[in-house]
Amino acid sequence: MSVFVIGYYTLLLAVSCLAAFYNKRQIFMVAFGLTLVSFILGIVGGTAALQAVAICAGLLGLAAMVSFAFREFLIQISSAEMGKELRTAPMTAAFGMFVIFVYIIMGIFAPWIAPHGEAEVIASAFAPADENMLLGADQLGRDMFSRIIYGARNSVGLALAATIAAFVLGALAGLLAATKGGWFDQFMGRVADVIMSIPSLIFALLMLSIFGPHIHVIIIAVAVIYAPRVFRLTRAVAGNVVVMDYIEAAQLRGEGTWYLIRREILPNSTAPLVAEFGLEFCFVFLLVAGLSFLGLGIQPPTADWGSMVRENATLISFGDITPLIPAAAIALLTVGVNFVVDWMLHRSSGLKE
Amino acid sequence: MGDILGLIGKRLGLGVFILFVISIIIFFMVELLPGDIAQAVLGQGATEENLAALRKQMGLDQPALVRYGEWLAGAVTLDFGSSIVTGERVTTVIGERFMNTLFLAAYAAVIAVPVAIILGVIVALLRNSIFDRVANVVTLSFISSPEFFLGYILILFFAVKWQMFPAISSLSEGMSLGELLIRTFLPALTLVLVVMAHMMRMTRAAIINLLASPYIEMAKLKGAPPWKVIVKHALPNAWAPIINVVALNLAYLITGVVLVEVVFVYPGIGQALVDAVSKRDFPIVQACCLIFAATFILLNLAADVGAILTNPRLRHPK
Repeated sequence: MSVFVIGYYTLLLAVSCLAAFYNKRQIFMVAFGLTLVSFILGIVGGTAALQAVAICAGLLGLAAMVSFAFREFLIQISSAEMGKELRTAPMTAAFGMFVIFVYIIMGIFAPWIAPHGEAEVIASAFAPADENMLLGADQLGRDMFSRIIYGARNSVGLALAATIAAFVLGALAGLLAATKGGWFDQFMGRVADVIMSIPSLIFALLMLSIFGPHIHVIIIAVAVIYAPRVFRLTRAVAGNVVVMDYIEAAQLRGEGTWYLIRREILPNSTAPLVAEFGLEFCFVFLLVAGLSFLGLGIQPPTADWGSMVRENATLISFGDITPLIPAAAIALLTVGVNFVVDWMLHRSSGLKE
Repeated sequence: MGDILGLIGKRLGLGVFILFVISIIIFFMVELLPGDIAQAVLGQGATEENLAALRKQMGLDQPALVRYGEWLAGAVTLDFGSSIVTGERVTTVIGERFMNTLFLAAYAAVIAVPVAIILGVIVALLRNSIFDRVANVVTLSFISSPEFFLGYILILFFAVKWQMFPAISSLSEGMSLGELLIRTFLPALTLVLVVMAHMMRMTRAAIINLLASPYIEMAKLKGAPPWKVIVKHALPNAWAPIINVVALNLAYLITGVVLVEVVFVYPGIGQALVDAVSKRDFPIVQACCLIFAATFILLNLAADVGAILTNPRLRHPK
C-alpha cells in the first residue's frame, strides 16, 4: 500500500461522506460510485490505473474550474440582459465557449505565439522534444508545436470558409424557396433530395478526384454537399414565418422579395439558424479533417491538423502520442462547438424533457 | 394492404429514380474534367498520336451520351470497365474488397445495434439523472471526434501498449473465423464506438418523445406496473423510430468505413476508393462511388419502408 493509494481512497471516502452529510445526492453518487469502481480497477490494473483515474479526475476538475471562471468573466463583461442568458449556461457550454475563445486567439495570433515558422526545418526528422521544441520535430524536422498553432489558423479557417459558403448558399435558396414557393420550391427540394442521398465523404472524394485538391475546390465541394441541409432547415423555419400576418401586411404594402427576406423573415428565424451554423461547422470541420487525413486537403508545406496526423502516424507504433495531439485538437474544437450548440438548441426549443 | 404496397412501391420508385440521377451525376462529372480522361492519364507531355490512340481504345471518340448508355448497361450487370492505371477489370479489383467491407460493417453492426438500443432505452428511462448527463457528454464527445482519432487511440492502447490485438488488419485466404474476428476487432470497435454514440442519442430522443405521449400517461394513471407500461404500451410504438435509427446509422457506417479502413490498412472498398482518387483512376472511382451511393440509398429506403410497415398511422393514410 503506497501513500498514494491510501490518500486516494481517503479523499474519495471523505468526499462521499461530506456529500452524504450535506445531502448532495449527485455528488455522493459520483464519489461513492468512483470508490467502488476503483476497487475493481485497483485489483485489475494496480496503482497505475488508480493514478490514471486521479489524473483524469484532476483534469476534469481543472476544466470545470476554468469553464466556471470563464463564464463568470463573460457575465461580468457582457450587458445585463446577456448576463442573465449566460447564467443559464451549463458547465459544458461554458467549457465549449472557452475552447472556442482559445482557438480564436490561437488562430489570429499564430505567427506571434509559434516559436518557429510552419515550414521551417530546424532539426532532424522525428527529433525528440527539447527546450527548443516542446513536442519534438515531425517527419521532416519541423517544429511540431509551431505547426499545431498554425494549424488552428489553416484548418479552422478553411472549415469556417466552407461552412460560410454552404450557409450562404443554403440559406439564400431556402429563403427564396419559402417566399417564392411554386415550381422553384419544388425544384430546389428535389435537388436537395438528390444531393443528400450521396454520402458526403464519397461525394467530396469524387469531386476532388476530378478537380484536384485545391483550396477553392474543397470550399465549393463542401458548400454544395452541405447546402441542402441548411436549405431544408431554412425552408422549414421560413415556411412557418411566411404565413404570419405581418408578412402579408408587408406584401400588401408592396415590399419586394428582398425586403421581406431581409427585414421580416430573417430576424424572426435567427435563433435556429445560428444553432444550425454551429452544427454545420462541426460536420464540415470533421469532413475537411477527414479529407486532409486522406491527403486531399490543404497541400503541404502548409500546416494542417488532418494531414499532420497521417504524416506522423508511424510514431504511434512506438507508443508516442505526439501524432494524436492534432487529432485531439480537432476533437476538442468539435466537442466544444457541440456543447455550445447543445445548450443553444435546448434554450431556443424550450425543451423540458 | 393495397395502400401499403402502393406507398412502398412509390418509395422504391423514388429510390430507383434518385439512383439513376446519381449515376448521371457520377458519370458526367468526369466529363467536366479539364481536357479529358486521356489527357489526364498521359499528362501534358503526351503526343497527339498517343492521345488519339488512347481515346480510341477507351471509346472516347464516341459521344458522351452513347458512352453513358454503355457504362450504365455495364454497371447494371456489375461490369464497370477496366482500370486506367493497371488495366485490370474493375470488378475483379473491387469484388473481393467489397465483401471485406461488408464483413467489417456487419461485424460492427452486430455489436453496436443491440448494445446501443439497450443503453439508449436505459438512458431514456433514467433521464436527467447523473448517468444521463455523463452519457450525454460521452456520446457527444465520441460523435465529435474524427474516426481516425478514435482509431489511433485504440491502436495506441490495444495494439502498442497492451498488445492484445494487431494494429494492421491484414487478411489472407483460409483464415479461420476466430482469427478473422480478432484481426478485424480494432477497426470494428472504432466503428462501433462512433455508430453506437449516434444510435444511443437517437434512441434516447425517440423513447423520450414516446414517453411524453398521452397514452403512456393514461397507462400510468390507470395503475399499470412500470414494466407493463414499457413492454405493452411503449415498445410496440417504439419499433418504428428504432428501425429508423438502426437503418440510418447503418447508412452512416458506409461513410465512416472509408477513414477507418485507411487507418487500419484494411483491404476494403474504401481503401480502394482513396487509392483510386489519388491515382485519378476514374473507372474505379466511379464504380466505388456508385456502390457507396447505392448502399446508402438502399439503407435509407429500408428505413422508410420499415417506418411505413411498423407505423399504423402511415399504414392507413388519411
